[in-house]
Amino acid sequence: MKGVFSAPGDYVHFKSQVPLHKIPIGTNQWRFYDFGPKAVPPLICLPGTAGTADVYYKQIMSLSMKGYRVISVDIPRVWNNTEWIQAFEKFLDAIDVHHIHLYGTSLGGFLAQLFAQHRPRRVRSLVLSNTFLETRSFSAAMPWAPIVSWTPSFLLKRYVLTGIRDGPHEPFIADSVDFVVSQVETLSREDLASRLSLTTDDASVGSLLLSDSFITIMDTNDYCAIPQQLKDQLGERYPEARRAYLKTGGDFPFLSRPDEVNLHLQLHLRRVGVEARPDLVHNIPKGDLGGSPSKENNGDDSDNSRKDDRGGSENPPAEYEINPTSPESSGSGNLDKQPLDSSECCHLDHELTLTLYDFPGGFTRETYIVPPATPVHFMWEYILFHLLRYISSLYIVWNYSLEFRQVV
Amino acid sequence: MSLRRRTLLKVIVLGDSGVGKTSLMNQYVHKKFSQQYKATIGADFVTKELQIDDRLVTLQIWDTAGQERFQSLGVAFYRGADCCVLVYDVNVMKSFDTLENWHEEFLKQANPPDPRAFPFILLGNKIDIDGGNSRVVSEKKAKDWCASKGNIPYFETSAKEDYNVDAAFLCIAKAALANEHEQDIYFQGIPEAAVPENEQRGGCAC
Repeated sequence: MKGVFSAPGDYVHFKSQVPLHKIPIGTNQWRFYDFGPKAVPPLICLPGTAGTADVYYKQIMSLSMKGYRVISVDIPRVWNNTEWIQAFEKFLDAIDVHHIHLYGTSLGGFLAQLFAQHRPRRVRSLVLSNTFLETRSFSAAMPWAPIVSWTPSFLLKRYVLTGIRDGPHEPFIADSVDFVVSQVETLSREDLASRLSLTTDDASVGSLLLSDSFITIMDTNDYCAIPQQLKDQLGERYPEARRAYLKTGGDFPFLSRPDEVNLHLQLHLRRVGVEARPDLVHNIPKGDLGGSPSKENNGDDSDNSRKDDRGGSENPPAEYEINPTSPESSGSGNLDKQPLDSSECCHLDHELTLTLYDFPGGFTRETYIVPPATPVHFMWEYILFHLLRYISSLYIVWNYSLEFRQVV
Repeated sequence: MSLRRRTLLKVIVLGDSGVGKTSLMNQYVHKKFSQQYKATIGADFVTKELQIDDRLVTLQIWDTAGQERFQSLGVAFYRGADCCVLVYDVNVMKSFDTLENWHEEFLKQANPPDPRAFPFILLGNKIDIDGGNSRVVSEKKAKDWCASKGNIPYFETSAKEDYNVDAAFLCIAKAALANEHEQDIYFQGIPEAAVPENEQRGGCAC
């Protein structure tokens, strides 16, 4: 059963507990989660190009249990940075949220800074993770940016996915990559095209009114798709910001190192004066969000506490745990099995939902190298795409992706 | 792309409540000392960049709340620690007596691959108080304890007077750097865990 992605247990649990919201605002459809006591100023998570609101499920579960309100969104289909700022502002108005704390990773971190720059009164603090100050190097790396909006979906997906480092990963990182890849599969052509447009739309973050002491930089110290140079540049911009570096974690530490990330987010929120309201936690599922019936909840509790006991040495209950249904504890059960599953998936050899189909090698090679600044070649691919539509199953040969790696 | 990758070292400071853990860190990083005692809530950290030989090193120094139950901090706190700093107050015998527990608990929680080789450092703080007249733990006693733990380095410090603080932390950084192992902590124990999974978790604590 190689390559078939099965959702992790704690994600299944998350989906059963936390409702997904979809609301149209203006011309945009917003897809988001909003969980935790409404009385607390929210932490809003903004994902990168290869992410959705779901990639932060471990943060939503853990922090909401501790009495924080966490919102995570899909980046809406906007095509430039001005549009982003306006769309996000409308979204905040629509959900009736005024002051926010932003946690942005990669592209999300860039968008968070832009919003903080242009709407300084709304943004109270920033947590920036593996992110950058300007898009110039990305647009330079993607000369076909002007035609991104009519590039076929499979090429966009491939472009996004090849930005994720493959090769042998340790199991937790391998699983985080699997999860993100499965999320990329859910994205439409327009979603991907708009995100790539945002990454290449020429813009840079100006000076923020926000004092550095309200900024935490949470980079991973092993590797990530954002070049170190850009991360250093960001660090220099906010010299007094708090450095919450993680030793390892790869591109998606919120998935691969959730307990460390959650600890840092919590420390950040405490530092910037957000008070958790654990006393309000138990009302959430019943009350405004209409989660699952409390009966099910209780069942889960006992389940997880049993797991906790067994995995005791690895996973001592954290001090702030109010409710044993923490994702860490429910995760610990799954993690035991992880090494087995992950070893199979370490090489990013996912078949995903695309079915495999074999091309002659030379043909694909030609296809997958996007030559800079040659629309002719691009047309080629476009024509090829139409050909492919006659073939019932689409196909990606991952072997060739090595030759064409880009920054997400 | 820049070639150098910064070295990140994680240091954990442990000891009884009120021995001056936070003060030592503040003195080292911010060059400030406050007479006022403010209990640390849960955990917090500070970072300091320094150059050791030719390497640029970032120390991430984690402070704990001494009065909390140890187990309550969570595994995230200890994960990937490169060095553990034990602190006691030379004027309080009890803070010296509990070092044994802190030492043991750290090893239990952080679970380093080779517990005997893991770098610890002991700091006897508050040597300034009353000109040393209220001191109850002698330097010899402390050094004997260090010797019994595999010759761990010992420093007598005063966060208030900024005495020996830099020297102690430099030693800490060097010890941490020496310990910095390439192997990834997340890979540990996987081969075993994959096979006798049931045995490992066997003892059901009901």
